Amino acid sequence: MNPNDALMEKWEVQLRKGTLELAILAALQQRTLYGLELLKLLQSLPSTTITEGTLYPLLDRLKRDELVDAQWVQEGDSRPRKYYQLTATGAQKLTELTRLWRQSVTDIEFLLANPGPQALPMTGV
Amino acid sequence: MQQAELTNNDIIHRYLNDLRRYLARLAPHETQEVIREIESHLFDVMEQQEAAGNKADAAAILHGFGEPRQLAAQYIAHIEEGAPPPKGFKAIQTMKKSVTATLYFAMAVFGFSAALCLLFVAGAKFLLPESVGVWSTPHGNSIVVGFVSVPPTAMPEVMGWWIVPVAAVLALAVALLTRKVLSVLKQHM
Repeated sequence: MNPNDALMEKWEVQLRKGTLELAILAALQQRTLYGLELLKLLQSLPSTTITEGTLYPLLDRLKRDELVDAQWVQEGDSRPRKYYQLTATGAQKLTELTRLWRQSVTDIEFLLANPGPQALPMTGV
Repeated sequence: MQQAELTNNDIIHRYLNDLRRYLARLAPHETQEVIREIESHLFDVMEQQEAAGNKADAAAILHGFGEPRQLAAQYIAHIEEGAPPPKGFKAIQTMKKSVTATLYFAMAVFGFSAALCLLFVAGAKFLLPESVGVWSTPHGNSIVVGFVSVPPTAMPEVMGWWIVPVAAVLALAVALLTRKVLSVLKQHM
């Protein structure tokens, strides 16, 4: 692996770490899922792949912070499963994080779309 | 390889037992909740593996959970960090720390200089036997201890050469006591 690849990977890990909470809250938006379902959903997307060892303790923390709720449900003969959903606080947090995320994407897209050498119009200042 | 001979149930049992041990700092019902959720996940996945015509592989699934110790560490991280401190707490903490540091330094200077003084008195007795001693008034209502340039001739000297061992032992005792106090202070810094 050349050093550039290692740097890219590091950046990807950082990005994933920073957006993981948003990804989980977004996945649970108006949806009730149990751990395995949530894991499979996140693993099906290229930038949100995580392991069991990351997901379950994170869900535990979100529950302690009262951003999600959980209850055990047993349907028919199946094994009891612990289902998660957003609380009102969690939904509020999701709105807030979504706003920040979109702002960040807009800003970076703006920079990418406007290469030099011309000076940029700085509307925000 | 011995690992291969273990059944899936053995592997799971061993893993969850280890995990339970590392989760000991959680309340028992919290530990139970964590174990139950992971157990449910494991059996779910193994069932799906078998339904898809594959061999259920507990070890491979557990690999995704990581080492029991590391997994447990994430579950108990909030206990180690403790509750978030109230606003302004940091300033108090910093102040307390600097007071302790000042106290530590002052105690060290005071204690060790007291010990050094006593040692000095003991040594000085050999050089200037006339100027070092303990003098007391005949009726005992005032005493002069230590190193004086002009021995108070009106008062009798009470210790004589005994001052040497007594001062040396006292110096040692004060030095040891200072060290003890400092080590206690250090634990609170």
